[in-house]
Amino acid sequence: MQQLLYDEVEAGDEVPPLVVTVDETQMFFFSAATYNGHRIHYDKEWARDREGYDDVLVQGPLQAALLARALTDWIGGAGRLVTFSVQNRAIALPGQPLRFGGTVTGKRLADGVGLVDLDIAARRGDTVLMPGTATVALPLRAPHL
Amino acid sequence: MPADSLIDPESSARVGTVAATATGEVDRRDWQRWAAAVGDHNPLWFDADYARAHGYRDAICPPLYLQYSVLGVTALADLRPDGSSGAVSGGLAFPKAPRRMAGGESTTFHLPAYHRDEISMVRTIESIDEKQGRSGKFVLVTWHTVYHNQHRELVAEARTSMIARR
Repeated sequence: MQQLLYDEVEAGDEVPPLVVTVDETQMFFFSAATYNGHRIHYDKEWARDREGYDDVLVQGPLQAALLARALTDWIGGAGRLVTFSVQNRAIALPGQPLRFGGTVTGKRLADGVGLVDLDIAARRGDTVLMPGTATVALPLRAPHL
Repeated sequence: MPADSLIDPESSARVGTVAATATGEVDRRDWQRWAAAVGDHNPLWFDADYARAHGYRDAICPPLYLQYSVLGVTALADLRPDGSSGAVSGGLAFPKAPRRMAGGESTTFHLPAYHRDEISMVRTIESIDEKQGRSGKFVLVTWHTVYHNQHRELVAEARTSMIARR
């Protein structure tokens, strides 16, 4: 895959969106991988009767991880995630198609490093589930491989 | 503090203090299980040769996985009724606002983490505030967390928040 370079990115550019429909198997493995015992992610009765939701909830950190995945896939092996900031705004349920992406808002050189700022979000249709911002570092020229 | 406050004085008194400290070893298989659960097959997390070709000395830990490398062990009998351990939040509990949800996280990543790095986490309670939302009052807790490696280098720092509701 071609390495994305600092000079190739302009404000307004879109991160190629990642579309994922999380299912309960993925949720189980994510809870296992993060040592998360919170019933709200696997106990339907608890989620409905005790917490008032329609179903178990997709983990917020899984949404964040998918959003970061969209970014790190885009910036390539020579890119680096520098800052990553998200807010949990709305819940997501398993079986719903979710879309993870971002838009470049600006870029700057800092001590010889090419930094690109983005608005990022996880969405379900028009609903923003997880808005945020990120900064990534991109190489100024192609790495010698 | 008003009598109907959701925040008890004991929690209030903890603002500015260390909520939790933890240490843990970064483990390649653990981060790769996490990445697989995310469907994230970035070769930086899996392929040492690929990572070396991009300036690292080995495959690297996915940035967002770092926070899990310090998680400890909780006995089943010590879990809260909702199944969570409470360890990450330093045992902060709001009996009048028992329904907890993650608020947000903002992390700056300074250095990569490698297999068998020893990470030390220190989490300080930055603020505990009562807010008025659309569906009533809630508690907003903010922590500041720093992660250092065995060389005492700052690997990452994070500001995280939690919402507790009635």
